[in-house]
Amino acid sequence: MNLSVLKTIKAERLKLRRSPVWLAFFILPVISAFFGTANYTLNQGILKSEWYSLWTQHTLFLCYMFMPALIGTYCSYLWRLEHMRSNWNSFLTAPVSFLSLYLGKFVQAAMMIAAGNLWIFFLYLLCGKICGLPGLPPAAVLACFGCGILGGMVVCCVQLALSMRIRSFAIPIGIGLAGGIGGLLFTNKGLGLYYPYSLYSLGMRANNPKLKLDTGVFAISCIVYMILFSLLSVSGLKRHEN
Amino acid sequence: MKTLGLEFYKIKRRKVILTMLAFLGVQALWGLWALNDPKDWELASGWMSLLYSLSVLDGIMLPTVMSVLASRLADIEHKGNTYKQLETLRSAGSLYHAKAVCGLIILTGMILAQFAFFIFLGYCLGYTGNPDTKYYLLSFVLKLASNFVLFLLQLALSMLFANQMIPLVAGLCGSMVALLLMFVSTSSFLPWGGNLSAALVRMDWNETTRVITYYYRTFSPRETVDVIFIFVWIIVFYTMGRYLFTHREA
Repeated sequence: MNLSVLKTIKAERLKLRRSPVWLAFFILPVISAFFGTANYTLNQGILKSEWYSLWTQHTLFLCYMFMPALIGTYCSYLWRLEHMRSNWNSFLTAPVSFLSLYLGKFVQAAMMIAAGNLWIFFLYLLCGKICGLPGLPPAAVLACFGCGILGGMVVCCVQLALSMRIRSFAIPIGIGLAGGIGGLLFTNKGLGLYYPYSLYSLGMRANNPKLKLDTGVFAISCIVYMILFSLLSVSGLKRHEN
Repeated sequence: MKTLGLEFYKIKRRKVILTMLAFLGVQALWGLWALNDPKDWELASGWMSLLYSLSVLDGIMLPTVMSVLASRLADIEHKGNTYKQLETLRSAGSLYHAKAVCGLIILTGMILAQFAFFIFLGYCLGYTGNPDTKYYLLSFVLKLASNFVLFLLQLALSMLFANQMIPLVAGLCGSMVALLLMFVSTSSFLPWGGNLSAALVRMDWNETTRVITYYYRTFSPRETVDVIFIFVWIIVFYTMGRYLFTHREA
Protein backbone atom coordinates (compact mmCIF):
# COMPACT_ATOMS: atom_id res chain seq x y z
CA MET A 1 0.00 0.00 0.00
CA ASN A 2 1.17 3.49 -0.86
CA LEU A 3 2.93 5.28 2.01
CA SER A 4 0.68 8.35 1.79
CA VAL A 5 -2.39 6.11 2.15
CA LEU A 6 -0.92 4.65 5.31
CA LYS A 7 -0.36 8.17 6.59
CA THR A 8 -3.96 9.18 5.91
CA ILE A 9 -5.23 6.01 7.60
CA LYS A 10 -3.11 6.88 10.62
CA ALA A 11 -4.44 10.45 10.56
CA GLU A 12 -8.03 9.19 10.46
CA ARG A 13 -7.32 6.88 13.38
CA LEU A 14 -6.01 9.84 15.33
CA LYS A 15 -9.15 11.84 14.56
CA LEU A 16 -11.32 9.00 15.86
CA ARG A 17 -9.23 8.39 18.95
CA ARG A 18 -11.33 8.14 22.13
CA SER A 19 -14.47 8.81 20.11
CA PRO A 20 -17.45 6.69 21.19
CA VAL A 21 -18.51 6.03 17.58
CA TRP A 22 -17.79 2.28 17.86
CA LEU A 23 -20.45 2.07 20.58
CA ALA A 24 -23.19 2.22 17.96
CA PHE A 25 -21.79 -0.86 16.22
CA PHE A 26 -21.71 -2.55 19.60
CA ILE A 27 -25.22 -1.68 20.84
CA LEU A 28 -27.45 -2.26 17.77
CA PRO A 29 -26.31 -5.86 17.13
CA VAL A 30 -26.81 -6.59 20.85
CA ILE A 31 -30.44 -5.38 20.68
CA SER A 32 -30.97 -7.40 17.50
CA ALA A 33 -29.34 -10.51 18.99
CA PHE A 34 -31.37 -10.23 22.20
CA PHE A 35 -34.74 -9.96 20.45
CA GLY A 36 -33.70 -12.39 17.68
CA THR A 37 -32.76 -15.07 20.18
CA ALA A 38 -35.94 -14.49 22.19
CA ASN A 39 -38.04 -14.78 19.03
CA TYR A 40 -36.18 -17.93 17.97
CA THR A 41 -36.62 -19.53 21.39
CA LEU A 42 -40.34 -18.71 21.48
CA ASN A 43 -41.02 -19.96 17.95
CA GLN A 44 -38.98 -23.12 17.69
CA GLY A 45 -42.10 -24.91 16.43
CA ILE A 46 -41.92 -22.88 13.19
CA LEU A 47 -38.21 -22.11 13.06
CA LYS A 48 -36.78 -25.59 12.61
CA SER A 49 -33.55 -24.97 10.74
CA GLU A 50 -31.49 -24.48 13.91
CA TRP A 51 -28.36 -22.41 13.10
CA TYR A 52 -29.89 -21.13 9.86
CA SER A 53 -33.08 -20.00 11.60
CA LEU A 54 -31.13 -18.27 14.32
CA TRP A 55 -29.03 -16.46 11.71
CA THR A 56 -32.18 -15.09 10.07
CA GLN A 57 -33.58 -13.96 13.40
CA HIS A 58 -30.34 -12.20 14.29
CA THR A 59 -29.68 -10.46 11.01
CA LEU A 60 -32.98 -9.89 9.18
CA PHE A 61 -33.93 -6.44 10.41
CA LEU A 62 -30.45 -5.38 11.37
CA CYS A 63 -29.12 -5.88 7.86
CA TYR A 64 -32.12 -4.71 5.89
CA MET A 65 -32.88 -1.52 7.73
CA PHE A 66 -30.42 -0.50 10.35
CA MET A 67 -26.93 -1.32 9.12
CA PRO A 68 -27.14 1.13 6.18
CA ALA A 69 -28.14 3.88 8.63
CA LEU A 70 -25.47 2.78 11.09
CA ILE A 71 -22.80 2.79 8.38
CA GLY A 72 -24.19 6.23 7.48
CA THR A 73 -23.62 7.38 11.05
CA TYR A 74 -20.01 6.23 10.94
CA CYS A 75 -19.37 7.85 7.56
CA SER A 76 -20.97 11.12 8.71
CA TYR A 77 -18.70 11.01 11.71
CA LEU A 78 -15.65 10.49 9.50
CA TRP A 79 -16.45 13.72 7.60
CA ARG A 80 -17.71 15.61 10.64
CA LEU A 81 -14.40 17.23 11.47
CA GLU A 82 -13.86 18.44 7.90
CA HIS A 83 -17.23 20.20 7.89
CA MET A 84 -16.33 22.15 11.01
CA ARG A 85 -14.96 25.69 10.80
CA SER A 86 -12.26 25.94 8.10
CA ASN A 87 -10.95 22.41 8.42
CA TRP A 88 -11.49 21.72 4.73
CA ASN A 89 -8.51 24.01 4.05
CA SER A 90 -6.11 21.98 6.15
CA PHE A 91 -7.60 18.71 4.91
CA LEU A 92 -7.26 19.58 1.23
CA THR A 93 -3.81 21.11 1.58
CA ALA A 94 -2.35 17.96 3.17
CA PRO A 95 0.68 16.86 1.11
CA VAL A 96 -1.00 13.71 -0.19
CA SER A 97 -3.20 12.94 -3.17
CA PHE A 98 -6.99 13.27 -3.08
CA LEU A 99 -7.24 9.53 -3.61
CA SER A 100 -5.12 8.92 -0.49
CA LEU A 101 -7.30 11.31 1.51
CA TYR A 102 -10.37 9.40 0.43
CA LEU A 103 -8.81 5.98 0.98
CA GLY A 104 -7.85 6.95 4.52
CA LYS A 105 -11.53 7.36 5.33
CA PHE A 106 -12.68 4.40 3.30
CA VAL A 107 -10.23 1.96 4.92
CA GLN A 108 -11.29 3.19 8.35
CA ALA A 109 -14.97 2.63 7.50
CA ALA A 110 -14.25 -0.79 5.96
CA MET A 111 -12.40 -1.84 9.10
CA MET A 112 -15.37 -0.83 11.22
CA ILE A 113 -17.69 -2.88 8.97
CA ALA A 114 -15.41 -5.90 9.40
CA ALA A 115 -15.31 -5.39 13.18
CA GLY A 116 -19.10 -4.92 13.26
CA ASN A 117 -19.64 -8.13 11.29
CA LEU A 118 -17.25 -10.00 13.58
CA TRP A 119 -19.30 -8.79 16.55
CA ILE A 120 -22.56 -9.90 14.88
CA PHE A 121 -21.00 -13.30 14.22
CA PHE A 122 -19.70 -13.63 17.78
CA LEU A 123 -23.14 -12.79 19.23
CA TYR A 124 -24.70 -15.31 16.87
CA LEU A 125 -22.31 -18.01 18.01
CA LEU A 126 -22.76 -17.15 21.67
CA CYS A 127 -26.58 -17.03 21.47
CA GLY A 128 -26.62 -20.29 19.49
CA LYS A 129 -24.71 -22.00 22.24
CA ILE A 130 -26.94 -20.45 24.92
CA CYS A 131 -29.97 -21.79 23.00
CA GLY A 132 -28.33 -25.22 23.03
CA LEU A 133 -27.78 -25.56 19.27
CA PRO A 134 -25.51 -28.51 18.44
CA GLY A 135 -22.01 -28.19 16.98
CA LEU A 136 -20.82 -25.12 15.13
CA PRO A 137 -22.61 -22.90 12.57
CA PRO A 138 -22.59 -24.28 9.01
CA ALA A 139 -19.91 -23.09 6.58
CA ALA A 140 -22.56 -21.29 4.50
CA VAL A 141 -22.93 -18.78 7.32
CA LEU A 142 -19.21 -18.03 7.13
CA ALA A 143 -19.67 -17.21 3.44
CA CYS A 144 -22.49 -14.82 4.43
CA PHE A 145 -20.07 -13.13 6.78
CA GLY A 146 -17.50 -12.54 4.02
CA CYS A 147 -20.03 -11.36 1.43
CA GLY A 148 -21.58 -9.11 4.06
CA ILE A 149 -18.31 -7.26 4.51
CA LEU A 150 -18.08 -6.71 0.75
CA GLY A 151 -21.69 -5.50 0.54
CA GLY A 152 -21.13 -3.26 3.54
CA MET A 153 -18.17 -1.66 1.81
CA VAL A 154 -20.48 -0.59 -1.03
CA VAL A 155 -22.80 1.13 1.45
CA CYS A 156 -19.69 2.78 2.92
CA CYS A 157 -18.73 4.22 -0.48
CA VAL A 158 -22.25 5.58 -1.05
CA GLN A 159 -22.48 7.10 2.41
CA LEU A 160 -18.97 8.56 2.26
CA ALA A 161 -19.89 10.29 -1.01
CA LEU A 162 -23.10 11.66 0.54
CA SER A 163 -21.55 12.77 3.83
CA MET A 164 -18.73 14.50 2.01
CA ARG A 165 -21.18 16.66 0.09
CA ILE A 166 -23.86 17.18 2.75
CA ARG A 167 -22.71 19.33 5.65
CA SER A 168 -25.46 18.11 7.95
CA PHE A 169 -24.57 15.19 10.17
CA ALA A 170 -28.13 13.90 10.34
CA ILE A 171 -29.38 13.97 6.74
CA PRO A 172 -27.07 11.25 5.32
CA ILE A 173 -28.16 8.98 8.18
CA GLY A 174 -31.78 9.53 7.24
CA ILE A 175 -30.89 8.78 3.62
CA GLY A 176 -29.19 5.59 4.84
CA LEU A 177 -32.35 4.50 6.65
CA ALA A 178 -34.54 5.36 3.65
CA GLY A 179 -32.05 3.57 1.36
CA GLY A 180 -32.17 0.47 3.56
CA ILE A 181 -35.98 0.40 3.55
CA GLY A 182 -35.92 1.02 -0.21
CA GLY A 183 -33.59 -1.97 -0.43
CA LEU A 184 -36.44 -4.17 0.79
CA LEU A 185 -38.47 -3.22 -2.26
CA PHE A 186 -35.61 -3.86 -4.68
CA THR A 187 -34.72 -7.20 -3.09
CA ASN A 188 -38.38 -8.20 -3.13
CA LYS A 189 -38.56 -7.48 -6.87
CA GLY A 190 -35.39 -9.53 -7.46
CA LEU A 191 -33.37 -6.41 -8.26
CA GLY A 192 -31.26 -6.40 -5.10
CA LEU A 193 -28.00 -7.01 -6.96
CA TYR A 194 -28.43 -3.72 -8.81
CA TYR A 195 -29.24 -1.51 -5.85
CA PRO A 196 -26.29 -0.53 -3.60
CA TYR A 197 -28.23 -0.50 -0.33
CA SER A 198 -29.46 -4.06 -0.90
CA LEU A 199 -26.01 -5.52 -1.34
CA TYR A 200 -25.21 -5.73 2.36
CA SER A 201 -28.35 -7.67 3.27
CA LEU A 202 -28.01 -9.84 0.17
CA GLY A 203 -24.40 -10.62 1.04
CA MET A 204 -25.39 -11.50 4.58
CA ARG A 205 -28.31 -13.61 3.23
CA ALA A 206 -30.32 -12.03 5.99
CA ASN A 207 -33.59 -13.34 4.60
CA ASN A 208 -32.40 -16.84 3.80
CA PRO A 209 -28.92 -18.20 4.61
CA LYS A 210 -29.48 -21.11 2.19
CA LEU A 211 -30.06 -18.65 -0.66
CA LYS A 212 -28.03 -19.48 -3.77
CA LEU A 213 -26.35 -16.17 -4.38
CA ASP A 214 -24.53 -15.75 -7.67
CA THR A 215 -21.29 -14.65 -6.03
CA GLY A 216 -19.71 -13.67 -9.35
CA VAL A 217 -22.47 -11.20 -10.20
CA PHE A 218 -22.58 -10.08 -6.58
CA ALA A 219 -18.84 -9.36 -6.50
CA ILE A 220 -18.94 -7.55 -9.86
CA SER A 221 -21.88 -5.44 -8.70
CA CYS A 222 -20.07 -4.56 -5.47
CA ILE A 223 -16.83 -3.65 -7.25
CA VAL A 224 -18.62 -1.54 -9.89
CA TYR A 225 -20.53 0.42 -7.23
CA MET A 226 -17.42 0.84 -5.09
CA ILE A 227 -15.42 2.23 -8.01
CA LEU A 228 -18.29 4.45 -9.14
CA PHE A 229 -18.96 6.06 -5.75
CA SER A 230 -15.24 6.30 -4.89
CA LEU A 231 -14.63 8.15 -8.17
CA LEU A 232 -17.55 10.45 -7.35
CA SER A 233 -16.05 11.20 -3.95
CA VAL A 234 -12.53 11.79 -5.26
CA SER A 235 -13.77 14.05 -8.07
CA GLY A 236 -15.90 15.84 -5.46
CA LEU A 237 -12.79 16.41 -3.38
CA LYS A 238 -10.96 17.85 -6.38
CA ARG A 239 -13.76 20.32 -7.05
CA HIS A 240 -14.48 21.07 -3.43
CA GLU A 241 -14.79 24.68 -2.33
CA ASN A 242 -15.09 25.82 1.23
CA MET B 1 -44.28 33.91 19.60
CA LYS B 2 -41.27 35.99 18.66
CA THR B 3 -38.89 33.25 19.78
CA LEU B 4 -40.92 30.69 17.84
CA GLY B 5 -40.83 32.90 14.75
CA LEU B 6 -37.06 33.13 15.12
CA GLU B 7 -36.81 29.35 15.24
CA PHE B 8 -38.52 29.12 11.87
CA TYR B 9 -36.28 31.93 10.62
CA LYS B 10 -33.20 29.94 11.72
CA ILE B 11 -34.22 26.85 9.79
CA LYS B 12 -34.99 28.83 6.66
CA ARG B 13 -32.92 27.38 3.78
CA ARG B 14 -31.74 24.53 6.04
CA LYS B 15 -34.08 22.25 4.11
CA VAL B 16 -35.55 20.83 7.33
CA ILE B 17 -39.06 20.68 5.90
CA LEU B 18 -37.70 19.30 2.62
CA THR B 19 -35.96 16.54 4.60
CA MET B 20 -39.22 15.64 6.32
CA LEU B 21 -40.99 15.67 2.94
CA ALA B 22 -38.32 13.27 1.66
CA PHE B 23 -39.27 10.80 4.40
CA LEU B 24 -42.89 11.17 3.40
CA GLY B 25 -41.76 10.54 -0.16
CA VAL B 26 -40.22 7.22 0.94
CA GLN B 27 -43.48 6.28 2.65
CA ALA B 28 -45.43 7.34 -0.43
CA LEU B 29 -43.23 5.16 -2.64
CA TRP B 30 -43.77 2.28 -0.27
CA GLY B 31 -47.53 2.90 -0.42
CA LEU B 32 -47.54 2.99 -4.21
CA TRP B 33 -45.58 -0.27 -4.30
CA ALA B 34 -47.19 -2.25 -1.48
CA LEU B 35 -50.81 -1.18 -1.88
CA ASN B 36 -50.85 -1.36 -5.65
CA ASP B 37 -53.37 -3.68 -7.36
CA PRO B 38 -55.51 -4.68 -4.36
CA LYS B 39 -57.74 -7.77 -4.41
CA ASP B 40 -61.46 -7.59 -3.61
CA TRP B 41 -61.06 -8.53 0.05
CA GLU B 42 -58.28 -5.93 0.35
CA LEU B 43 -60.55 -3.24 -1.08
CA ALA B 44 -63.23 -4.09 1.46
CA SER B 45 -60.89 -3.64 4.42
CA GLY B 46 -58.70 -1.03 2.73
CA TRP B 47 -59.27 1.85 5.14
CA MET B 48 -58.50 -0.33 8.14
CA SER B 49 -55.43 -1.88 6.54
CA LEU B 50 -54.18 1.64 5.80
CA LEU B 51 -54.27 2.58 9.48
CA TYR B 52 -52.51 -0.67 10.35
CA SER B 53 -49.77 -0.23 7.74
CA LEU B 54 -49.13 3.37 8.73
CA SER B 55 -48.70 2.46 12.38
CA VAL B 56 -46.12 -0.21 11.46
CA LEU B 57 -44.27 2.06 9.05
CA ASP B 58 -44.23 5.00 11.47
CA GLY B 59 -43.19 2.78 14.35
CA ILE B 60 -40.06 1.78 12.45
CA MET B 61 -39.19 5.02 10.71
CA LEU B 62 -40.21 7.83 13.01
CA PRO B 63 -37.76 7.27 15.90
CA THR B 64 -34.94 7.91 13.42
CA VAL B 65 -36.84 10.65 11.57
CA MET B 66 -37.52 12.43 14.85
CA SER B 67 -33.83 12.19 15.76
CA VAL B 68 -32.97 13.81 12.42
CA LEU B 69 -35.54 16.58 12.97
CA ALA B 70 -34.41 17.29 16.53
CA SER B 71 -30.78 17.23 15.49
CA ARG B 72 -31.42 19.72 12.66
CA LEU B 73 -33.19 22.09 15.07
CA ALA B 74 -30.47 21.83 17.72
CA ASP B 75 -27.20 21.61 15.84
CA ILE B 76 -27.45 25.18 14.56
CA GLU B 77 -26.87 26.32 18.15
CA HIS B 78 -23.98 23.92 18.67
CA LYS B 79 -22.31 24.94 15.42
CA GLY B 80 -22.65 28.64 16.10
CA ASN B 81 -21.94 28.21 19.81
CA THR B 82 -24.81 30.59 20.36
CA TYR B 83 -26.21 29.49 23.72
CA LYS B 84 -24.47 32.07 25.84
CA GLN B 85 -25.33 34.90 23.51
CA LEU B 86 -28.96 33.77 23.24
CA GLU B 87 -29.28 33.59 27.00
CA THR B 88 -28.49 37.28 27.24
CA LEU B 89 -31.49 37.99 25.01
CA ARG B 90 -34.08 35.53 26.36
CA SER B 91 -34.34 32.78 28.93
CA ALA B 92 -32.95 29.32 28.15
CA GLY B 93 -36.37 27.88 29.00
CA SER B 94 -38.15 29.94 26.35
CA LEU B 95 -35.55 28.90 23.75
CA TYR B 96 -36.17 25.24 24.61
CA HIS B 97 -39.93 25.78 24.54
CA ALA B 98 -39.73 27.46 21.13
CA LYS B 99 -37.77 24.54 19.70
CA ALA B 100 -40.27 22.05 21.12
CA VAL B 101 -43.22 23.96 19.63
CA CYS B 102 -41.38 24.37 16.31
CA GLY B 103 -40.88 20.59 16.18
CA LEU B 104 -44.51 19.99 17.09
CA ILE B 105 -45.70 22.23 14.26
CA ILE B 106 -43.45 20.47 11.73
CA LEU B 107 -44.55 17.06 13.03
CA THR B 108 -48.23 18.03 12.80
CA GLY B 109 -47.70 19.16 9.22
CA MET B 110 -45.90 15.92 8.42
CA ILE B 111 -48.64 13.69 9.79
CA LEU B 112 -51.35 15.78 8.14
CA ALA B 113 -49.55 15.45 4.80
CA GLN B 114 -49.13 11.72 5.38
CA PHE B 115 -52.83 11.22 6.12
CA ALA B 116 -53.85 13.40 3.19
CA PHE B 117 -51.66 11.43 0.78
CA PHE B 118 -52.73 7.99 1.95
CA ILE B 119 -56.45 8.88 2.05
CA PHE B 120 -56.10 10.23 -1.48
CA LEU B 121 -54.31 6.99 -2.46
CA GLY B 122 -57.10 4.96 -0.83
CA TYR B 123 -59.70 6.72 -2.96
CA CYS B 124 -57.58 6.28 -6.09
CA LEU B 125 -57.27 2.55 -5.38
CA GLY B 126 -61.04 2.32 -4.93
CA TYR B 127 -61.26 1.29 -1.28
CA THR B 128 -64.84 0.49 -0.30
CA GLY B 129 -66.73 3.29 1.46
CA ASN B 130 -65.05 6.16 3.26
CA PRO B 131 -62.45 6.31 6.02
CA ASP B 132 -64.00 6.04 9.47
CA THR B 133 -63.71 9.66 10.65
CA LYS B 134 -63.75 8.80 14.35
CA TYR B 135 -60.92 6.28 14.10
CA TYR B 136 -58.88 8.36 11.69
CA LEU B 137 -59.12 11.44 13.93
CA LEU B 138 -58.23 9.44 17.02
CA SER B 139 -55.37 7.78 15.18
CA PHE B 140 -54.10 11.21 14.09
CA VAL B 141 -54.11 12.53 17.67
CA LEU B 142 -52.44 9.42 19.12
CA LYS B 143 -49.86 9.30 16.35
CA LEU B 144 -49.05 12.96 16.92
CA ALA B 145 -48.68 12.39 20.65
CA SER B 146 -46.57 9.23 20.39
CA ASN B 147 -44.18 10.79 17.90
CA PHE B 148 -44.01 14.03 19.86
CA VAL B 149 -42.72 11.89 22.73
CA LEU B 150 -39.91 10.67 20.49
CA PHE B 151 -39.20 14.21 19.30
CA LEU B 152 -38.98 15.55 22.87
CA LEU B 153 -36.65 12.74 23.90
CA GLN B 154 -34.44 13.39 20.89
CA LEU B 155 -34.56 17.16 21.37
CA ALA B 156 -33.32 16.77 24.92
CA LEU B 157 -30.44 14.59 23.73
CA SER B 158 -29.61 16.83 20.77
CA MET B 159 -29.57 19.98 22.91
CA LEU B 160 -27.42 18.37 25.59
CA PHE B 161 -24.82 16.71 23.37
CA ALA B 162 -22.80 18.81 20.95
CA ASN B 163 -21.76 15.60 19.24
CA GLN B 164 -24.89 14.76 17.27
CA MET B 165 -23.79 11.18 16.76
CA ILE B 166 -25.09 10.25 20.22
CA PRO B 167 -28.73 11.36 19.74
CA LEU B 168 -28.81 9.95 16.22
CA VAL B 169 -27.58 6.56 17.36
CA ALA B 170 -30.20 6.70 20.12
CA GLY B 171 -32.79 7.33 17.40
CA LEU B 172 -31.55 4.34 15.40
CA CYS B 173 -31.63 2.12 18.48
CA GLY B 174 -35.16 3.43 19.12
CA SER B 175 -36.25 2.36 15.63
CA MET B 176 -34.75 -1.07 16.24
CA VAL B 177 -36.48 -1.43 19.61
CA ALA B 178 -39.80 -0.27 18.10
CA LEU B 179 -39.57 -2.82 15.32
CA LEU B 180 -38.67 -5.68 17.62
CA LEU B 181 -41.39 -4.74 20.11
CA MET B 182 -43.91 -5.36 17.36
CA PHE B 183 -42.92 -9.02 17.39
CA VAL B 184 -43.20 -9.57 21.10
CA SER B 185 -46.11 -7.40 22.21
CA THR B 186 -49.26 -5.55 21.19
CA SER B 187 -48.37 -2.48 23.24
CA SER B 188 -45.56 -1.14 25.34
CA PHE B 189 -45.06 1.56 27.93
CA LEU B 190 -41.63 2.34 26.45
CA PRO B 191 -41.36 5.64 24.56
CA TRP B 192 -40.53 3.79 21.31
CA GLY B 193 -43.57 1.56 21.73
CA GLY B 194 -45.96 4.53 21.43
CA ASN B 195 -46.84 3.88 17.79
CA LEU B 196 -47.50 0.25 18.67
CA SER B 197 -49.69 1.07 21.69
CA ALA B 198 -51.57 3.75 19.74
CA ALA B 199 -52.36 1.50 16.76
CA LEU B 200 -56.14 1.27 16.56
CA VAL B 201 -56.22 -1.59 14.07
CA ARG B 202 -54.90 -5.11 14.54
CA MET B 203 -54.84 -8.04 12.17
CA ASP B 204 -55.30 -11.79 12.04
CA TRP B 205 -53.45 -13.84 9.45
CA ASN B 206 -55.17 -17.03 8.35
CA GLU B 207 -52.45 -19.43 7.29
CA THR B 208 -54.71 -21.72 5.24
CA THR B 209 -56.72 -19.11 3.31
CA ARG B 210 -53.79 -16.64 3.30
CA VAL B 211 -56.27 -13.86 3.99
CA ILE B 212 -55.67 -11.10 6.50
CA THR B 213 -58.57 -9.92 8.65
CA TYR B 214 -58.31 -6.43 10.08
CA TYR B 215 -60.31 -5.29 13.08
CA TYR B 216 -60.51 -2.31 15.42
CA ARG B 217 -58.83 -3.31 18.62
CA THR B 218 -60.37 -3.29 22.06
CA PHE B 219 -57.91 -1.97 24.58
CA SER B 220 -57.25 -4.16 27.62
CA PRO B 221 -56.57 -2.34 30.93
CA ARG B 222 -52.80 -2.86 30.47
CA GLU B 223 -52.93 -1.52 26.91
CA THR B 224 -54.92 1.49 28.11
CA VAL B 225 -52.21 2.21 30.67
CA ASP B 226 -49.63 2.03 27.86
CA VAL B 227 -51.61 4.61 25.89
CA ILE B 228 -51.80 6.85 28.96
CA PHE B 229 -48.03 6.46 29.26
CA ILE B 230 -47.64 8.28 25.93
CA PHE B 231 -48.96 11.46 27.55
CA VAL B 232 -46.96 10.82 30.71
CA TRP B 233 -43.77 10.63 28.60
CA ILE B 234 -44.61 13.99 26.98
CA ILE B 235 -44.68 15.65 30.40
CA VAL B 236 -41.60 13.76 31.63
CA PHE B 237 -39.42 14.42 28.58
CA TYR B 238 -40.46 18.05 28.23
CA THR B 239 -39.86 18.80 31.90
CA MET B 240 -36.64 16.81 32.07
CA GLY B 241 -35.27 18.24 28.80
CA ARG B 242 -36.11 21.81 29.76
CA TYR B 243 -34.64 21.40 33.24
CA LEU B 244 -31.41 19.83 32.00
CA PHE B 245 -31.07 22.40 29.23
CA THR B 246 -31.63 25.42 31.49
CA HIS B 247 -29.20 24.06 34.07
CA ARG B 248 -26.35 23.21 31.69
CA GLU B 249 -23.40 25.48 31.26
CA ALA B 250 -23.89 27.25 27.95
